[in-house]
Amino acid sequence: MTRLLVLEDDVGLRRSLRLVLEDAGYDVDEASRAEEALEVVAARAPDLILVDLVLGGMDGFSFIQRVRPTTEAPIVVVSARDGVQDVVAALEAGADDYVTKPFEVPELKARLKALLRRPAMAGSERSPDADLEVVDPASGLVLDRGAALLTRAGAEVHLTHTEYRLLCVLLDHAGRVLSREALLEHVWDHSVHGDERLVDVHVRRLRKKIEPEPSSPTVLVTVRGLGYRLDVR
Amino acid sequence: MSRPRPRRRAGLRATVTLAFAVGALLISAVLALGTYLAARHQLVDQRERTATRQAYADAALVRDSLLTSGAEVSDVLGSISPPPGAVILLRLDGRWYSSSLDAAGPDLTDEVRPVVADGSVALAWTDETDPPSVVVGVPLPAVGGEYYEVVEAEELDRTLSTLAIALWTSAVVTTVAGALVGRAAVRQVLRPLRRVAGAATRVADGDVTTRLDAGGDPDLEPLVVAFNEMVDAVQERIERDARFAADVSHELRTPVTTLTTSLSLLEGASDLSPRTASAVALMSDELARFRLALEDLLVIGRLDAGARERDPSPVGVADLVHQSLAAASVPAEGRLEGDAAALARTVRVDRPQVVRALANLVRNATIHAGGLRRVRVVGLPGVVELHVEDDGPGVPAEERERVFERFARAGGQKVGTGSGLGLSIVRQTVVNHGGQVWCEARAGGGADFVVRLPSVGDRS
Repeated sequence: MTRLLVLEDDVGLRRSLRLVLEDAGYDVDEASRAEEALEVVAARAPDLILVDLVLGGMDGFSFIQRVRPTTEAPIVVVSARDGVQDVVAALEAGADDYVTKPFEVPELKARLKALLRRPAMAGSERSPDADLEVVDPASGLVLDRGAALLTRAGAEVHLTHTEYRLLCVLLDHAGRVLSREALLEHVWDHSVHGDERLVDVHVRRLRKKIEPEPSSPTVLVTVRGLGYRLDVR
Repeated sequence: MSRPRPRRRAGLRATVTLAFAVGALLISAVLALGTYLAARHQLVDQRERTATRQAYADAALVRDSLLTSGAEVSDVLGSISPPPGAVILLRLDGRWYSSSLDAAGPDLTDEVRPVVADGSVALAWTDETDPPSVVVGVPLPAVGGEYYEVVEAEELDRTLSTLAIALWTSAVVTTVAGALVGRAAVRQVLRPLRRVAGAATRVADGDVTTRLDAGGDPDLEPLVVAFNEMVDAVQERIERDARFAADVSHELRTPVTTLTTSLSLLEGASDLSPRTASAVALMSDELARFRLALEDLLVIGRLDAGARERDPSPVGVADLVHQSLAAASVPAEGRLEGDAAALARTVRVDRPQVVRALANLVRNATIHAGGLRRVRVVGLPGVVELHVEDDGPGVPAEERERVFERFARAGGQKVGTGSGLGLSIVRQTVVNHGGQVWCEARAGGGADFVVRLPSVGDRS
């Protein structure tokens, strides 16, 4: 059963979220403080974490920063704060998506479902070697879709689920420009009015992991005014 | 009863200009008059001395000639050559002799005769001639007569009138120059005031980031400091008010989310009695309205706090309309009209803000005005107009401006999304983007809300 962790300091909202999410078939753990949530993550390894940004004690941003290296699980921010800086800061810290209060329950469910979707695995009938895709020969970056593993010269490069899915989508369309809207739809299942900052921040995060020089990218390049393109040579 | 009309005071510029002109006139008049009088005194004095000297010399000549026995008086007079314009008169034994035929001796010498008769030299001016003449009388006791010389002061008169003209002219020139200097000075003095006025206007127009710079002028420093402090206070006040609205709605977001979330469970329940179900439906509708009002309040708070959160990027007009229709949950099919060139236009906007504003208009049409008819896009040079047209009864002409005010109700009916803020949000958003929004009557009935935005990369 898919296990979620809800980190929210408002008792009413925490309980009602639990009710709704349990109704949707998830197993739900609750935490009202970030320190408590860190323990739950370590002990129960949730598949997805919902985080409020404003908490007593450690705030949501710091929590995301602390928990990100320990789990690949998607982190969804649920917050009343929707200023540009807050959204970007939360995404930079490592969040995978952002939902603003008050939200529609069906929309929240759809977002969670999209983030929990398993990345498409390669067909089992193909030989293991066929799953290997070279992303960047210069730095020896290889993606093994069968094992959902990215390696650089044999060493594993840790990707979150969302980063992995983003890389897969870009690789599927290697050499072609993907608009931010298209990426939002492919990776996050977002409808027309999604937030394009989600794409920009994730591209930045992915670059830090795959580019030798993230500030002047050569693999995952920006196409001004159009979107992004993965160049595989 | 008619009220006394308040007298319109002359402006500072007129007053100062006039003051400078009057001052210059007074100074130049006093100086001119002084100069004239001094010059006149000097010239008259000189003329009188010359005349006296001449008269003495001539009188001595006449006396000596007369003492020569046998000399005829007329020959004696004829033998002296008086200066040009001078007439010589001689009174001898009660008889008048003159060097000129038409000289009226007694009249000309009226003033000096008594003094001369007493045996003294006398000098006087007479107006009997034109120009006036100086009359010098010299007693000639040796021959028992009186000698008079009348000299027309023609040269003196001409000099004085030339001087008068010159002085008058310079007085006029000085006055005009004074007025010009006054005008220039007052303009110089008013320049900082105009800057203050301009800044105040910008503040009144909502740009509370406007500040003045004294430009290193210590005289302007107090004014500039006072002005900037005033704007600081205004800005802080505005921001505090805006923050309050935003804070309040922000604080309400979490409980509203709890309500929405919990209610969604009730809505999904299948075992509700019809009465309970309709109660749940009512709650759900009202909660939706409450949420919109809350969001509107938050948005207006933010718009009030300034457009600093704006993040403009180029967006296609057709794209913008499609997103707005989607945001208002209105199917786009057949709703969007306009020629291909107009639809291909691009505007530079903060997309979420403008989409929300347009969605507000669309929702307004759907909820309150009998349904959205269409969104018509019209491309004009440099701008693009989005006409959101509805099938409702239209907005009465006198209400068309008022509907954009906060908490306005058209014809006793709520407008906008129900918070009373919808259209004011639209206006503020559009204005922040350098555009305009207004309401017209649609040909064939209904209202036509027009959003005009500056377009970029015009190919027309």
